[in-house]
Amino acid sequence: REEKQLELTLEALISQVADLKNSLVSFIYKLENEYDRLTWPSVLDSFALLSGQLNTLNKVLKHEKTPLLRNQVIIPLVLSPDRDEEIMRQTEGRVPVFSHEVVPDHLRTKPDPEVEEQEKQLITDAARISPDGAQKQIQSLNKMCSNLLEKISKEERESESGGLRQNKQTFNPTDTNALVAAVAFGKGLSNRRPPGSGGSVQSGQPGAGAIIAGASGMQQVPMSSAPAQQQPMLAGVQMAQAGQPGKYIAYLIVIIKQEAR
Amino acid sequence: MEAPPVTMMPVTGGTINMMEYLLQGKAGGQRGAGGGWGAAELCVSGTGSVLDQSLESLLHRLRGLCDNMEPETFLDHEMVFLLKGQQASPFVLRARRSMDKAAVPWHLRYLGQPEVGDKNRHALVRNCVDIATSDNLTDFLVEMGFRMDHEFVAKGHVFRKGIMKIVVYKIFRILMPGNTESIEPLSLSYLVELNVVAPAGQDVVSDDMRNFAEQLKPLVHLEKIDPKRLM
Repeated sequence: REEKQLELTLEALISQVADLKNSLVSFIYKLENEYDRLTWPSVLDSFALLSGQLNTLNKVLKHEKTPLLRNQVIIPLVLSPDRDEEIMRQTEGRVPVFSHEVVPDHLRTKPDPEVEEQEKQLITDAARISPDGAQKQIQSLNKMCSNLLEKISKEERESESGGLRQNKQTFNPTDTNALVAAVAFGKGLSNRRPPGSGGSVQSGQPGAGAIIAGASGMQQVPMSSAPAQQQPMLAGVQMAQAGQPGKYIAYLIVIIKQEAR
Repeated sequence: MEAPPVTMMPVTGGTINMMEYLLQGKAGGQRGAGGGWGAAELCVSGTGSVLDQSLESLLHRLRGLCDNMEPETFLDHEMVFLLKGQQASPFVLRARRSMDKAAVPWHLRYLGQPEVGDKNRHALVRNCVDIATSDNLTDFLVEMGFRMDHEFVAKGHVFRKGIMKIVVYKIFRILMPGNTESIEPLSLSYLVELNVVAPAGQDVVSDDMRNFAEQLKPLVHLEKIDPKRLM
């Protein structure tokens, strides 16, 4: 069971490291070949990518299903100065020989001597400070960070609103209202009113002149005056015997509404 | 009375056809809400406007957000007919015809009063009835006693996203009645309308609309505008 876990972990680690290697390769390529065209954001992108991948690598290592790799020991079993095809293939031609020179470099676990020195220095410094002093330092660091964050966010907000003020006028609310009014009830559209009149004349006013010539004349045509003739044709629709076509319309509308129900 | 009444025979012929068409049209025009005319359709809408100079960016954004790479343009002539009845408020019917597409039927629409519902609802909800008609619609309406109240020409683009329809158009005033060639723009802005026609009782729709409106936010501010408030 533990072996299975180990295997899985190793596979995950290998894939993560492969990804990391690829991004490093592309970054190096970018730096070497496109250095005159390179922009800072692009470099930042590459760094961000690398940092993300390192993060995932760390997560994999910290994962609960990962066995304690610390407890594992790697021992080279066979060292030979002969070329080894297998290793060549695995490392893409970078390590041709698994020999005495190569092994100490590749299998080392201790950091570089300089790094080791620095680490030792830091550890002794840290041990020297009293806990109170340490706490104070931590607090001041936190305060400085939050101040800086505040300043940045304020700056961002202000510049955004400044930009907005310039670009804001993509629409005009008065126009919106005017257009909606025009579509809804013809404010400013009707030819009866002089163009540009701001008066809110009710569009439903009768007698304000027929748009269609003879419309009022036609309205007076009593549809009821020849109901007898029309009766057979309008089967199913009882003709209202009213003098106004309005009632006929009302009846029609009632039919429509009834259909709607 | 001197002038003879307008001949009634052809009119009645027309009337019957129109009526049948009317009833047929209703069944046909339904959005598949289970046959019949049962479910009241609701037109849910949000409105805003955009200035001419920002039109291009709005169209760009809509092209990205909506389905279909090819936005449709349209040029319509809309006439609004009123019938003054015994009731105080006139009955309004809107007739639209396409000026650039030849074989398209005329479109008759009835829009009810905005539904007084949840104040928090972000869209205007109105009952609506849409009917496709033949092209003797204006004559029919006039004979029935409707009078044309106003007309305008709308020219713009239509976008769709699922069941939502976004229309961006410019309204032109017609300078001489009946002559759709002499037109002038009503304002320097384009009207933007987001509407959905849905069977009654679907409030989920208005949430979708609000999300979409959010995406158009800095360019256009789509909101619920009650036309009665602007009277």
